[in-house]
Amino acid sequence: MNAASKRPRGASILQAICAPMALVAFVALFAPGAIVAQAPGAPAQDPAPLGPPLSGAALDRATEEVASLMRCPVCQGLSVADSPSSSAVDLKAEVRRQLAAGFTGDQVIASFERAYGEFIRLEPKAEGFNWMVWLMPMLAFAVGAILIYFRLRPQRPVARTLPSQEDAKPS
Amino acid sequence: MNRKVLFVGLILVAPLLVMLASGLRHDPREVISPLIGRPAPEFALLDLEGRRLSLADLRGQPVVVNFWATWCQPCAAENPIFAALARRYAGRVRFISVIYQDTPQAIRAYERQRGSWGPALVDPDSRTAIQFGVYGVPETFLIDAQGLVHEKVTGMVSFDGLTRSLEAML
Amino acid sequence: MISILGRSVVLAALLLATLGAVMSFAAAQRGAIAGVARARRLAYLYAVMMALATGLMIYALVSHDFSVSYVAQVGSLATPLHITIVSLWSSLDGSILFWGLVLGTFTAGAAFHLRRSAPDHVGYMLGTLFVVGIFFTFLIAGPADPFAPTPPPIPTDGPGPNPLLQNHPLMIIHPPMLYLGYVGMSVPFAIALAALFAGRLDRDWIRSLRTWLLVPTGFLTMGVMLGGWWSYEVLGWGGYWAWDPVENASFLPWLTAIAAVHSALVLQRKGTLRAWTVVLVVVTFLLTILGTFLTRSGVVNSVHSFTQTPIGPAFLAFLGFCLVASVIVLAMRMDTLASDPDRETLWTREGAFMINNLLLLVFMFTVLVGTLFPIAAELVRGVKVSVGEPYFNRMAIPVSLGLLLLIGIGPALPWGRADNRNVRRALLFPIPAAIAGLLVTFAAGGRTWGVLATGALAAYAVWVNLDQGLRLSRKRREDEPWTEAVGEAVRRGARRYGAYLAHLGVIVTFVAIAVSSSYQTAQEGTLRPGESMTVAGYKLTFERVDARPEPHRISDRALMRIEHNGKDAGTLEPALNRYDTRMEPIGTPAVRTAISHDLYLSLMNVGTDGSIGMRAIVTPAVVWIWIGVFIIVAGTAICLLPAGLRFSRREDAPEPAAKPVAETTA
Repeated sequence: MNAASKRPRGASILQAICAPMALVAFVALFAPGAIVAQAPGAPAQDPAPLGPPLSGAALDRATEEVASLMRCPVCQGLSVADSPSSSAVDLKAEVRRQLAAGFTGDQVIASFERAYGEFIRLEPKAEGFNWMVWLMPMLAFAVGAILIYFRLRPQRPVARTLPSQEDAKPS
Repeated sequence: MNRKVLFVGLILVAPLLVMLASGLRHDPREVISPLIGRPAPEFALLDLEGRRLSLADLRGQPVVVNFWATWCQPCAAENPIFAALARRYAGRVRFISVIYQDTPQAIRAYERQRGSWGPALVDPDSRTAIQFGVYGVPETFLIDAQGLVHEKVTGMVSFDGLTRSLEAML
Repeated sequence: MISILGRSVVLAALLLATLGAVMSFAAAQRGAIAGVARARRLAYLYAVMMALATGLMIYALVSHDFSVSYVAQVGSLATPLHITIVSLWSSLDGSILFWGLVLGTFTAGAAFHLRRSAPDHVGYMLGTLFVVGIFFTFLIAGPADPFAPTPPPIPTDGPGPNPLLQNHPLMIIHPPMLYLGYVGMSVPFAIALAALFAGRLDRDWIRSLRTWLLVPTGFLTMGVMLGGWWSYEVLGWGGYWAWDPVENASFLPWLTAIAAVHSALVLQRKGTLRAWTVVLVVVTFLLTILGTFLTRSGVVNSVHSFTQTPIGPAFLAFLGFCLVASVIVLAMRMDTLASDPDRETLWTREGAFMINNLLLLVFMFTVLVGTLFPIAAELVRGVKVSVGEPYFNRMAIPVSLGLLLLIGIGPALPWGRADNRNVRRALLFPIPAAIAGLLVTFAAGGRTWGVLATGALAAYAVWVNLDQGLRLSRKRREDEPWTEAVGEAVRRGARRYGAYLAHLGVIVTFVAIAVSSSYQTAQEGTLRPGESMTVAGYKLTFERVDARPEPHRISDRALMRIEHNGKDAGTLEPALNRYDTRMEPIGTPAVRTAISHDLYLSLMNVGTDGSIGMRAIVTPAVVWIWIGVFIIVAGTAICLLPAGLRFSRREDAPEPAAKPVAETTA
């Protein structure tokens, strides 16, 4: 709890440190609104179901799909869909009940998030600082591809200077 | 000295080390509950004798809700702590427990052996545990007189820690 | 008694490592052959000390000497002998001791094998290995001391090793394989650093680097696969890879090691990518240390993470030292390793190798970011987030397909510069195979684009790699008898046979992963005795539950009678084990493996009324994942045969037989 009170200051300093680590951090800084929006919103009252009630094979499929996006709370890293533990079975039943009542997959996960926190999502929500985890690999690919392009581009007669520097450049 | 390599290398290495060092200070298993400061999820459950107990009925005094099971070792170690606290705060704080992934038979046998410090509620399909976002046992929720979640203790409670929290709530 | 002996041996080893490091570096700097020879003898002695320490610990375990803290922690009178020996690596302190043994063995092995290499190279290599040795021996001597005496009263029995480790024989072989791979990466790292220190990466040293890179890479490949197999056979969820941090930790250095194996080939062949190969090898080693830190320090949530331990900070300090030292050494010395003046173009073998390096590195970076992101999020946002299977699968699929594409394209492309017409022909020629692969996949029921693409790309790649592999044996001079031609081709071409075989293994594994993860059928049910359930052509009848008492646990075994398509297929006994130590029951699944698919039964619970909760999963092609990896490892072993051992002299000459494509396209 005291960690929460310490957070804002530490966060700004550390963001300053992490920023060069990847330019993507700017997404987090540019979108303070998104960060605020992540603070838990309205109290946990049940909103109205937004989807059609499901049943049969469609319900089975949707249950598996939603459960595979949720962390089994008693396991380590397994999804609710995968885990054979009895706790996961109960969570899956709850997912199924909610889907059968017409809540959409997003609504179901959000309802679990209200009790378990963001940790329950096996895939980080694409917002705010979380963009890092999605964009950094793509950024790395782009940087690598550009470096390779410049190394492999069609040869010109002048291009044969300074071999050592070229090699220092990671391809 | 290739400054470019030095620069790029250190830029990659420094934040990594800072991050890992910060990671050492956190317990990866402890998740801050989003329920803190919000109304506790309502429940109405039956105890082992079949008496109905609902959280709404207990409004007006702090409630300690402990999730536990007989197969859990720290839960057994918590037992005397809760017994002592329940005695100390009798009439001022309600102590109830919710059974997590266990059978009433096992609980009855256990309580015959070690005694009980409050009603043990049966939680069909873990629905209450799910509403409280229980990650494992033992977990203990402190709910204030207005029905808001005041604190969540993950893992074993300590006598002193719980006493402090209860004093703050009373 | 054992405590004192063990501690003395470890202290002696620490002393030897320190002395060895100083002597090696000093001798290397002066290029003193005699000094390097002395350092080499210290390396042998260090290995002997580590073996002695390990032997003492095994003796303590086997003789149930509970006055040794590690034995008190993991030993138990009731544990069978082979598990008792294996419990050497079942818990943190013992596993670090085992690490020391493997490191000592590798140090001595490299010292012996490379005894005739340039003295400065060998000296710097031994010095680096000794520095790594100092750290691990220090851990064994201090923060993770397995020989510490048990504080009195000394127990008469212990709890036994972690129950998960007792469940399956794979646990006997998986950790040693993984350690041989993980720890073995220290040797190529030391070779790379020696090249930097000496400012020279010549032919001889490149060959040493390649050999000592391939050895741990083979072990690591095996270790990673066995880890997946173990988790499949033991953890009961029906999968083999959950992107758990510990799995990722073993996968990260594997990716860079594979990248390094390929770039080393370009280096050996063309003399380019010299510094880059060194960087990859260094990164691979750093990733092994990072991975070990992640799994031993408790900073990430993981199935196998050892509980919070005091070695976290020590490991972080060592990791920091290695990272910073590597960066500084690279910055200071990298420019001395100039590549031969040559430029690659995209549509050549070299170009394909570079794209291969890019994809493998991006893959590594993605897995690294995903694994570390929870720590970063906690630091920046103060919130715990999870990065799990859905993220990794989503990111891994496109990269994997790219790699599969390259396995097909790369070997088809000629080395050096080639004119566009030849390139086009080489690439278009196998297209019919790709179309056939697509059709076969479609006919077999593949409908998602990922599976269809895998089928087409795999067929393309198989065609190209078989074609390239078989082309070698066709080379025969007119006057040469066939037997000699084949013998010569095998001897000369062993490295490429190995490489193409490994590629075929990769393709098999790829296809098996795609198929098994896309076409799983799962069914859950509650059964009373006599009732049955069906799943994908199987009828499973529940007969009864037997509670079998075993040391430290009671195993509830559900006897299931299996019928496949109406024919009797024997019985399976999935179990749920209840432990004395009071933890949630742990299941042991039962698996019926067939060549086309697996039937996987997981007992989820045993009700008080005699009913059971059963989960049945039918997964196609699982066994081909293991087979594919065995093929990869076999290919790696073949690669090592001549280059590393017998024919090392002959390899010096530029290989005349090594340009199959160039020859045919010339």
